[in-house]
Amino acid sequence: MKSIIELKEVTKVIKGRKIIDNISFKVNKGEVFGFLGPNGAGKTTTIRMMVGLMGITSGDIEIAGHSIKTRFEDAVRYVGAIVENPEMYKFMSGYDNLIHFARMSKRITKEKINEVVALVGLTDRIHDKVKTYSLGMRQRLGLAQCLLHDPEVLILDEPTNGLDPAGIREIRDYLRLLAREKNMAVIVSSHLLSEMEMMCDRIGIIQNGRLIDVQFVKEFVQTDKQSYEFEVIPSEKAMILFQTSFPDVRLIRSSNGITVEVKKEEIPNIVKILVEADFQIFSIKEVAKTLEDRFLEVTAAKGGTNHD
Amino acid sequence: MKSQLQRGGQTMINLIKNEWMKIFKRPGTYVMIGILLAIVCIFGAIEKYEVKGNNSSPDNRWEQNLKQENNALKQQAKSAQTKTEKDFYKQKIVINEYRLKHNIPPDATTYHIWDFVNDAGGLIQLAGLFTIIISAGIVASEFNWGTIKLLLIRPISRVMILLSKYVTVLLFALLMLSILFVFATVVGAFLFGFPEQTSSYLNYVNGKVTEQNMVLHLMIYYGLNSINMIMLTTMAFMISSVFRNSSLAIGISIFLLLTGAQITTLLAIKFSWAKYLLFANTDLTQYFEGTPVVDGMTLGFSIIMLLLYFLVFQALAFSVFKKRDVAA
Ligand SMILES: Nc1ncnc2c1ncn2[C@@H]1O[C@H](COP(=O)(O)OP(=O)(O)OP(=O)(O)O)[C@@H](O)[C@H]1O
Ligand SMILES: [Mg+2]
Repeated sequence: MKSIIELKEVTKVIKGRKIIDNISFKVNKGEVFGFLGPNGAGKTTTIRMMVGLMGITSGDIEIAGHSIKTRFEDAVRYVGAIVENPEMYKFMSGYDNLIHFARMSKRITKEKINEVVALVGLTDRIHDKVKTYSLGMRQRLGLAQCLLHDPEVLILDEPTNGLDPAGIREIRDYLRLLAREKNMAVIVSSHLLSEMEMMCDRIGIIQNGRLIDVQFVKEFVQTDKQSYEFEVIPSEKAMILFQTSFPDVRLIRSSNGITVEVKKEEIPNIVKILVEADFQIFSIKEVAKTLEDRFLEVTAAKGGTNHD
Repeated sequence: MKSQLQRGGQTMINLIKNEWMKIFKRPGTYVMIGILLAIVCIFGAIEKYEVKGNNSSPDNRWEQNLKQENNALKQQAKSAQTKTEKDFYKQKIVINEYRLKHNIPPDATTYHIWDFVNDAGGLIQLAGLFTIIISAGIVASEFNWGTIKLLLIRPISRVMILLSKYVTVLLFALLMLSILFVFATVVGAFLFGFPEQTSSYLNYVNGKVTEQNMVLHLMIYYGLNSINMIMLTTMAFMISSVFRNSSLAIGISIFLLLTGAQITTLLAIKFSWAKYLLFANTDLTQYFEGTPVVDGMTLGFSIIMLLLYFLVFQALAFSVFKKRDVAA
């Protein structure tokens, strides 16, 4: 796979404060990259630098081999982006807004505009003024605006902000489609972990302006150790037995019993010990570890230290 | 490279189309034009009411009157103190002699269309006010709306974006002036009619009198009187792009539009450095008819001062706009 956008040791200092600290990563064509972090982590700031809205204090960003610093026009040509909210001219119709942005790129035909409008499902309302649009419709219009010039990199800052579950799902499927069919690199930022998990191939976790981890979603969620919930009675005694028999294993008292973090191969052994000690086992369930759990783990372990 | 230049030109035209569209998709713009048209009508009605009855039939004794006037002027010229005063009388005398020689009666006796168009030139202030409002908003509004983010992430340099906005402001100024001029002509023709003979304007340059087509003269007159408005529009544009604040730009510019000339005149009485002020130089008609604000100022000096102010405004606007981090 070929990378289309690369951040090289990007740092941003505003008024003496390091907002972004030495971030480097690459995003490949055909990949959905998630940019994950809590409020104020620096996601939007990083995106602003990627599209040339903000200067880069040190380091560089290259898009299709062109530096956004020194060859802005060559680099940004490949990019379609929504930074924060999809702001449009409210006093004009959606269509006029698209005409406006079509004029700013080369060779965008009326047919292309209509095609994109149909694609985002706005055909019925496109000639209404934007001020009459709902937030979801504005998101769609923003997306249409990004796609007019067939970008190779799509950068969306919190694209599902304000969408209903159906809308979120639609956007998610659509972004996956763009990455797969048009070989676009899609970069989305979010602080909603659950949706990143379903949408992205890879995610980078940013906290306090530092990129603390980049991982494939599959690997990220599936580590070799899993959690299993044992529904067992009496549970207090079982806890003590677990602690003595498996001193290294992590235990959590849960509502239905005890959750233990062990390898799958260990389960028969555990069952045997419990049965031999006359405990009653009602069920053993695998507890899927969500990205959220992993996220909290990672940020607690690596992000806790402050960089000032 | 020529093709590159052409492409740049095409981009510029597209950008200007965009700006024009954004101005004319807003109802406020039509309100402005409506007010301008209405005020020309009201102004016409007032003039009509005032000149009613004053319009006497053409004066048969105009030649005698002019001769008398000239004799009086010659006396005044003799007792005049300064050179500018002398020049002023001399100009009147020469023009009167020209009229006598070529049999062109002064048309001051009847009020007709061209007098009205000339007087309506006072409304350039109003056209200026509206242009300043547009100019002050054209950059600041994009920041307020948040649309600046979309504008600046297309493959077009910031310099081009800002330039297209400035050119649009100039085109808007031209539109407002044209509307004023054309509509004043229409209202003038309707209310006051054309003079009997085609009138021309008598120009006085370096002791010589030349005849000039009246419409052309009025256009030049409008043009010269627009310099003030263009400079203030440019200033509003600069404030708007530097501070991203349209109210500030409108406030300062309109305050200066209304009071700048008076303040400068007051200062000029006491201080000769007043000649370096913008408003001492915006009225170029002072060199053609009348006396300069500060003695010793020349047309060349004023043009250089105007250019300097213009360049400073533009340099500020462009350098700040080019460098700024956009976090709107
Ligand atoms: N123009 C600015 N001047 C000063 N500080 C700023 C500026 N822009 C951003 N910051 C600071 O930079 C940090 C990162 O902000 P940023 O908007 O990038 O966060 P984010 O990850 O997008 O957060 P959110 O999830 O809330 O959108 C914040 O602490 C913010 O206060
Ligand atoms: Mg943000």
